[in-house]
Amino acid sequence: MAGVKSSTDHRLKWLGNFCLLIFIIWTLVPFYWMFVTSLKKHKEIYGTEATLWPKDPTLESYHTLFFETDYFLFFKNSMVVALSTTFMTVLCASLAAYAIARLDFPGRKILARGMIYTYLVPQSLLFIPLFAIMVAVGLTNSLTGLTLAHLGFTIPFCTWLLMGYFLSIPKELEDAALVDGCTRLGVLFRIILPISLPALAVVAFFSFTLSWNEYLYAIVFNSAPSVLTIPTGLSNFVVEDVFFWGPIMASTVFTVIPPLVVYFFFQRWLITGLTMGAVKT
Amino acid sequence: MLERRLQGSEAAGRARTDQAVSGERLTTSSTHVSNWLNDQRVIGTLFVMPALLILAFVVVYPFLTAIWMSFQDKMVGAPAKFIGFGNYVELFGDRHFLKTIRNTLVYTLFAVGIKFLVGLAMAMVLAQPRRLDFIYRTILFVPWAVPTIVAALSFRWIYDDFSGLLNNFLIGAFGMQDVISWLGDPDYAMASVIAVVVWSGTPFYTMSFLAGLKAIPNEMYEAARIDGANAWQEFWYVTIPQMRRVFTVVVMLSTIWTSTNLVIVQVLTNGGPANTTQILPNLAYKYALLASRLGIGSAVNMVFFPILAVLIYILSRRMLAERE
Repeated sequence: MAGVKSSTDHRLKWLGNFCLLIFIIWTLVPFYWMFVTSLKKHKEIYGTEATLWPKDPTLESYHTLFFETDYFLFFKNSMVVALSTTFMTVLCASLAAYAIARLDFPGRKILARGMIYTYLVPQSLLFIPLFAIMVAVGLTNSLTGLTLAHLGFTIPFCTWLLMGYFLSIPKELEDAALVDGCTRLGVLFRIILPISLPALAVVAFFSFTLSWNEYLYAIVFNSAPSVLTIPTGLSNFVVEDVFFWGPIMASTVFTVIPPLVVYFFFQRWLITGLTMGAVKT
Repeated sequence: MLERRLQGSEAAGRARTDQAVSGERLTTSSTHVSNWLNDQRVIGTLFVMPALLILAFVVVYPFLTAIWMSFQDKMVGAPAKFIGFGNYVELFGDRHFLKTIRNTLVYTLFAVGIKFLVGLAMAMVLAQPRRLDFIYRTILFVPWAVPTIVAALSFRWIYDDFSGLLNNFLIGAFGMQDVISWLGDPDYAMASVIAVVVWSGTPFYTMSFLAGLKAIPNEMYEAARIDGANAWQEFWYVTIPQMRRVFTVVVMLSTIWTSTNLVIVQVLTNGGPANTTQILPNLAYKYALLASRLGIGSAVNMVFFPILAVLIYILSRRMLAERE
């Protein structure tokens, strides 16, 4: 009996290993192909055979990308938007989450519910009217407008996430400070936020990644070359059709670096974020 | 649970306000300002104000406008005209639009279904005890952090007719005779699009399912084993029932986001060939941004909204109820 059991376990283990290998290949192939293509010479890329490794590795494509396109400008714009979104999200979400979790004011229950609703409303439903609104108030072709739009999906999720965290902090911690005459703002910044650093890390991580990766609003609101972010810039490369796959792949390699760096640092929080609320895909 | 907590802290808050009020009567007016600043109603309102204003501007108001706009003939930069159900009548009178609805259903069903199965398989494999398991986990989650546009572009290059990896691989490894036009052939285009959606969307399922699997108490498996259950029975009678809650939440969330995401379709095929991969959000984009017809574009999105609204309602109830 025991023998049968362990042989099943053994087989399951090897089946698992085999599947794991397939999954890893499936996940990594696009990255590999991206990277290899970016190192190939133009002629080799469009040759009759797809070589698995460049015959004559070159940085030509990177040279084209950096010196013949505005990629650095796109990169800078994306960085500005993602960092502003992250900062504003942490600030607004902390204040709102603290108020909803701790303070007695009219409408807090509706707000708690409203945060989920706003979080679940899909972007595709909003981009058309939001575009008309942005045109009306003159916020198209601006990084401010794009940041505001991104806050529309980062704030609800992050407020919801922080609310859960704040509710788990014992009230006694702040009561003493309040009795000593500390203001609510003081309590939030000196007591609550310092012990909520793990949750704030999750919030910052999600805001940065979601904003950096966002495509639809970016492409709808901004078209002037000076305010293009990476997603818009990249898709223009393809649409214009004068661009070649070498530099495009070089640009994708560079584009995945910031989110991947953030991801490798913060990935252990990902599961934490999941258990606290749902993660947006 | 959340409600109860809110009520609890509300009661405590009221007690504290009362204290502050009675304290105020005894003290001089110099502390009046600080008491006012400690009033929870004032502070609470001030604290939520920034988030509230931003969300009103970029979510609530646009959402209401979207509904209203779908009943209007509205062009960019021109005054709107109310036309009742005119946009909807025009849409449903169009054969292509009905096909778009069908495409969206097929696309969502297959994308969500495959992501579910692959995600579950990945999670079960990752849940097996293995040395260096965090490395494998990190790798399989990576597509989550990759911008969708990057995933779409790199697959578009992999699908390239003559120089792409896929065709060259099939020719080299399996002696395929003719190249397949993965994105240009109506028979393959939808499947090719769905494959990319699966690549980029599966990590969300894997992560959620892995968290769910780890939350199943080991005693349940031990009890099943004592009762003589084999591996398959353990999976069927312990894992699946225990995961039901995670399954529904993940599938509902993913259905909302998959059915409304147009990035991958737009970059890979832009709805072609011959509208075989046209889905609602991409059609809405075309109407609104390329033809500048904002009204009918909004109407396209509104067609699926009843389904989404039901999902959003159920999900929000669950999320509120589960918060502890």
